[in-house]
Amino acid sequence: MNFQWPPEQLAFRDEVEAFIRQWRTPELLREYHENEGGGGTPLMRRYYRALQETGWMQMCWPEEMGGAGKNPLYRFILIETFEYWGMPYGNLTYTSIAPALAVHGSEEQKRRFLPGIWSGEYCFAIAYSEPNAGTDLASLRTRAEKARGGWTIQGQKIWTSLAQQSTHIWLAARSEPDLPKHQGISLFIVPTGSEGVSIRPLRCMSGLTTYETFYDNVFVPGENLVGGRGGGWNIVMHALNHERVGLSPTGNLARHYDLLVEELQRSAPQKLRDPVLRNRLAELRMELERHRALALRNAVTIADDDVNAGLASMAKVSGSELRHRLTNLAMDLLGRPGVLTEAAGGRAACGGQQQTTWLMSPILRFGGGTNEVQRSIIAARHLGMAR
Amino acid sequence: MNPQLDETQLLLRDTLRQFLERELSFDRVRECEREARADAALWRTLVKQGWLATPFPAALEGGGGGMVCAGILVEEFSRRAALIPIAEVLTAALTLQRCGAPCGGLLRRVLAGEAVVTPAILESGDSFYGIAAEALPAGTAAAGESSWLLRGEKCFVDYAQFASHHLVAAQCGGERGLYLVESADPGVKCEATPALGRIPQAQVRYDGARAVRAAGAEAVGELVRIGRALTCAQLLACMEVSLEQTVAYTNLREQFGRALSTFQAVQHHAANMAMHCEASRFLTYEVLDALERRSADDRQVALAKASLSRAAPEVLMTGHQLHGGQGFIEENDLYFFTLRGKDRSVAWGTAEECLALAATGVEQKARWL
Repeated sequence: MNFQWPPEQLAFRDEVEAFIRQWRTPELLREYHENEGGGGTPLMRRYYRALQETGWMQMCWPEEMGGAGKNPLYRFILIETFEYWGMPYGNLTYTSIAPALAVHGSEEQKRRFLPGIWSGEYCFAIAYSEPNAGTDLASLRTRAEKARGGWTIQGQKIWTSLAQQSTHIWLAARSEPDLPKHQGISLFIVPTGSEGVSIRPLRCMSGLTTYETFYDNVFVPGENLVGGRGGGWNIVMHALNHERVGLSPTGNLARHYDLLVEELQRSAPQKLRDPVLRNRLAELRMELERHRALALRNAVTIADDDVNAGLASMAKVSGSELRHRLTNLAMDLLGRPGVLTEAAGGRAACGGQQQTTWLMSPILRFGGGTNEVQRSIIAARHLGMAR
Repeated sequence: MNPQLDETQLLLRDTLRQFLERELSFDRVRECEREARADAALWRTLVKQGWLATPFPAALEGGGGGMVCAGILVEEFSRRAALIPIAEVLTAALTLQRCGAPCGGLLRRVLAGEAVVTPAILESGDSFYGIAAEALPAGTAAAGESSWLLRGEKCFVDYAQFASHHLVAAQCGGERGLYLVESADPGVKCEATPALGRIPQAQVRYDGARAVRAAGAEAVGELVRIGRALTCAQLLACMEVSLEQTVAYTNLREQFGRALSTFQAVQHHAANMAMHCEASRFLTYEVLDALERRSADDRQVALAKASLSRAAPEVLMTGHQLHGGQGFIEENDLYFFTLRGKDRSVAWGTAEECLALAATGVEQKARWL
């Protein structure tokens, strides 16, 4: 038992922060947000190239897969540091798709896709949900039928975030209609530019855009089937476990806490002298400590090469619910300047970030599997409760 | 970063757990509760088996296991609701040992089972800051140890009646320190103050009791830090056993023709309990590990204690909600953990007191690694 970070891992965090200081310019952050996390602009491409040259994106992969075989806790440190500073690193393509591809993809698929993911050249949109298959994902109806040299996809997906910016779509479809519903699903990589793919934007209340995607007899070559026929459900679950880790970083929450305190120090120091308000901040710190504990517990389990669905769900529930409570309280403490948006310029407390993150908080609670489903997973998989 | 117990620690935990499940029945604990006494026989076994010494350094013929090992001991005995002063003795003795107090003789006697020492800090104001008890010089005693006389009253002294020595926080001319008093001294009067947790405790009057100065003001701070961290281990045990019993019960108990555990509402309550338990386990052992490395400050310890003090009543009451009437009767073992857990949630600083301490440092950057 040892809760200390070894000096070499702390030195790595410092190295990552030095890289961030070099690249974290208002221009880059603006392009990142305007592009909604995609990597298509020239500056973003230069940034991703520089990030790729550090070797960090693949450092935890086995050497035979082009990595450096480092302890996965380095990846955790990398992600948390990027999250603290609000910097792009490939998001779900990196945290969810790449690990799933590494386990379930063929050697050829790994060679074909992983370098592009690490370099930021490839951006994947995830297409699991359908209008009638949300929380009950296994009832999805998008069909994949065997065709000469591959498959044809017919159907409709929803919440295909980043579809417009993506190079590929990571799509679950029903390929074996005669098998029980969990067993009949396969996983395909669909190039976004394929003939028959159409994309319709859905504007969200957070100001971001998600997408509905339609597949009209889209041909997908056989080599883009991941993990074999009917193996899709396990891949989706594996990817979702990793996605839930990516949905619950402590760094981003800690950043919002620090921003709140800095703003109070700058614009409302009298509030910070109020013992009631200070106690509420202390409670937030207590909750941050609890979440950090769950996130680290999960990260260490993953570093031991063991994705534990219960622990991943705990981190996801804890992080997403704290995100709401933290930003909600931040706006309460900041008052009306706290609800001004970024467009209000310098008058907006914390640059409008607390209200932006508060607006995003619902999606993190129902996205990646609703928190209700996560609690059922904790009960079944972690506690062994009868189903 | 490795939050898992190592092999030696696991061996200690498993040995203790198996031994206690075999040897310490809950009915025996009920008997101690009825008679409002500590389990002296269990204490003798703990000493005889060498378990009490495991956290202490080899110089005291201990096992060198440190604070984490102390946490394991406290957690395992708390999982059986044992009425022995394990947390109290470890808090007092580890404080004396770690502060280099000139009490080697007493520590050896404690580890040999010849003495039992318990901390006495709080007074009627229930505050760790307002210490009014006075230590007055009383000339020089043998072996170069200064001799003092203690005057004052201490409240909420756990196992005061069972202990041979009290480690009393007192002040002399405004300077705080820790003083050792023999409980058999004619100047010591204990009056039992029964409490929710059914842990024997007393209000103690020191009326010119002879004392030895053991350590200075810094040791008072260390005593509180260790006391809080080991209380976290007690709270963790109460929460985890409550959760385990609740899962077992809801898996067995059927209503509407199916096990309670198959109802989503029940599952979600249990999941909330589990999240509190997992986070609490990490925070408890992290703070013990930090204390061992002498890198824990008052605020870190206070935040951990606040977190567990807040979580415990919520977890314990959810356990009752899911047990229904079955959990409310004393034939069921659940009540041990509810009573002990709530009691310990206010011991060594309530959640509010700990948060108030943490609030002094809210400007510090938040931790995220």
